[in-house]
Amino acid sequence: MILNEEQLLLRNTVADFLNKEAPIEALRMLRDKADAPAWEPELWRGLCELGAPAAAQPEEQGGLGFGAMGMGAIMIEVGRRLSASPLLSSAIFAQAVIRECGSAQQIGQLLPDLLSGDAVATVACQEGTHFEAETIRCFRENNQLTGCKNLVIDAASADYLLVTALDRQGHLCIGRIASDAPGVAITPRQLMDGRQYGSVSFTNATVEEWLEGEQVVSGFARALDETTVMLSAEMLGGSRELLERTVAYLQEREQFDVKIGTFQALQHRLAQAYCQLELAAASVYAAMNALDSAADNLAQYASRAKTLTGDIYQHLSNEAVQMHGGMGVTDEMDIGLFLKRSRVCNQLLGDSAYHKDRFATLRGC
Amino acid sequence: MDERDLFRQEVREWLETHCPVSQRQPIVREEQIWAGSQATFPSADAQAWFEAMRDRGWTAPSWPAEYGGGGLDPDQARILEQEMARLRCRPPLYDMGLWMLGPALLAYGSPEQKATHLPRIVRGEVRWAQGYSEPGAGSDLASLSTRALDAGDHFVVSGTKIWTTRADVADWIFCLVRTDADAPKREGISFLLIDMHSQGVSTRPIALISGESEFCQTFFDEVKVPKANLVGELNEGWAVAKELLKHERKLMATMESITEKVDVGLVELAKSRLAVTDQGRLANADLRARLAEHLMQADALSDLNELIYRGMKAGQLNPALPLTLKYIGTHEQQRKDELMLEILGADGLSMMSDTPELDRMVRNWAYNKAHTIAGGTSEIQLNIIARRGLGLPE
Ligand SMILES: Cc1cc2nc3c(=O)[nH]c(=O)nc-3n(C[C@H](O)[C@H](O)[C@H](O)COP(=O)(O)OP(=O)(O)OC[C@H]3O[C@@H](n4cnc5c(N)ncnc54)[C@H](O)[C@@H]3O)c2cc1C
Repeated sequence: MILNEEQLLLRNTVADFLNKEAPIEALRMLRDKADAPAWEPELWRGLCELGAPAAAQPEEQGGLGFGAMGMGAIMIEVGRRLSASPLLSSAIFAQAVIRECGSAQQIGQLLPDLLSGDAVATVACQEGTHFEAETIRCFRENNQLTGCKNLVIDAASADYLLVTALDRQGHLCIGRIASDAPGVAITPRQLMDGRQYGSVSFTNATVEEWLEGEQVVSGFARALDETTVMLSAEMLGGSRELLERTVAYLQEREQFDVKIGTFQALQHRLAQAYCQLELAAASVYAAMNALDSAADNLAQYASRAKTLTGDIYQHLSNEAVQMHGGMGVTDEMDIGLFLKRSRVCNQLLGDSAYHKDRFATLRGC
Repeated sequence: MDERDLFRQEVREWLETHCPVSQRQPIVREEQIWAGSQATFPSADAQAWFEAMRDRGWTAPSWPAEYGGGGLDPDQARILEQEMARLRCRPPLYDMGLWMLGPALLAYGSPEQKATHLPRIVRGEVRWAQGYSEPGAGSDLASLSTRALDAGDHFVVSGTKIWTTRADVADWIFCLVRTDADAPKREGISFLLIDMHSQGVSTRPIALISGESEFCQTFFDEVKVPKANLVGELNEGWAVAKELLKHERKLMATMESITEKVDVGLVELAKSRLAVTDQGRLANADLRARLAEHLMQADALSDLNELIYRGMKAGQLNPALPLTLKYIGTHEQQRKDELMLEILGADGLSMMSDTPELDRMVRNWAYNKAHTIAGGTSEIQLNIIARRGLGLPE
């Protein structure tokens, strides 16, 4: 449940790199660019050179073998700096879908380029507020696919999409479709976090290949849970950063001739938030550990991690704004960037209410 | 199999052999085995279980064997704990000496004090009480005024302590007393061990909202205490007091495991009493969500404990982390109690119904209100977390 020597080293290396190449100002610049790219190619290249996209995968599969614990440690650092890259969409989600749902041949063909970062893929699976196998309205007809997806991360910048669909028998399958294939229409949208998402509609779009078979249902569920845990790790990093920045401000800002950090009303609110933050952190580490040890109740771990990080990220972002006073609502302060990212993260892959409900069902409530 | 697996196997077999089946159920208050000259055993099984554990030194598993303890290293102690939990073995012995004074003596006691007191604690021969709080000194403990005057080879102690849990049946009490009235508050305090049977000690029980009277006011009227009973240096009792509080808070964070264990599965309780939908879910969606929240928090707390344990072992523990446990643990317990009461509805409004199970649950709800007060209130915990944990200014 804690990082080993190698994972600590990996974390520190990535942290150093991000401090240099992707501090928060980098996100600010990216956000304000006219053509609004999803990420800076330079930064992504650097992350790939460090091996970040291959961190989790076992060495036998061409990865670096740091496991979910290693990738989670990277995501925490990413969350602290709001670094924009296709780590979540491609290196985590798309890789997991191929690894869990693909045939041996598909894995052999597709995974290496995702591990090296030479290709970028994203998963299009959401039609409402979260993925729901029962309500999919994307259909497979021979080698074509028709339907709509929303909130697809990095949609317009990926080389290809992995799209959940139902075949004629109602079985879940996943179509691999090039982003520029005929019949694919991507409407890109920059959300308040400065990052790129897209609504995608498919009209008899040509599918290059199908990931299909019995393993797809459980495999996709696992891939989704894995991504949920990694997103929670990012949210944990953001929450920690918010707490530390706020504590630092309270240690320095003076009013009534004293540091505002001496006011007990503020102290107690932060101390309570800290307790909740550590419970969320323990849940994230336990979930990463569940991934690495192939625990059979991964879904419970994932839903708990997402709910607790979602709630504390939202809470701490509000508290951080409030405790920075007027400064807190200026765009000049980075706090606002975390505030906005927290709201987007909360919605991605199912919000707290959804995951709480799923957890309740899993626990028989 | 490595050494630890072997140890686990040995422990498992030993417990299987020595823990009677009747001692493998949640503990209820009437059946707890409290140490001391007035100790009684609810059954022959309970006595056998206590004696087996005592003789193995496992009433104090991690204390050194030379004082009668189990001599286990942290890993082994944890294995024992896990195996006891797995079999649902009851705690074999209850005593504040075991939980609090012992660890403090191990850190600060003289060789003679350790040799005198620790073995008797392990063997459950003495019941200890805690004499910290006073009518005028609660959260602000350092303002205590019970005084100990130097009278040559002994002290003369006068004053009063309050909220002293079970002082009426205790054999000994560890006390904070003022030995220098002119020094700054924390620098004039000493830590004394006092025999409750001494001339001039008396107690008066106080009734609680749970219907019990667990604690007392304790009076000291010119009580003679030998100087050999001073723990640590004169006027340096505050350090001992703080060491002891560390153990008290650790204990309180996991209070559920030592207090009366009402093993209510809240989900089962709710489903057996309230409406359930066709899909087998609780129809009350709001309650369902709050139950899920509680289960998540409880799981997270157990993961946090695990994380702290592992972090400590690996030498990479953030020292702020353990400070959170008492606050989190006691509030979670109370949240659980409130959910229980809500689920019981009107059946949860009496402590004197004709269903003892039910009464016990309700009494615990009331009793557990004390957990966010005793051992340093929640507000004091938050002060500590904010200042010592987060580094906010005083
Ligand atoms: C079940 C039980 C068993 C106990 N057993 C023992 C025992 O065996 N031996 C013993 O010595 N003591 C015992 N105690 C006493 C316990 O340690 C005290 O009750 C506790 O320290 C609080 O002190 P107080 O009751 O005087 O409350 P007060 O200190 O008067 O507190 C009243 C309220 O003010 C708040 N407050 C006080 N100071 C601050 C501050 N600085 N900032 C913010 N809020 C503050 C408190 O949090 C609380 O809400 C026991 C208590 C209970 C409930």
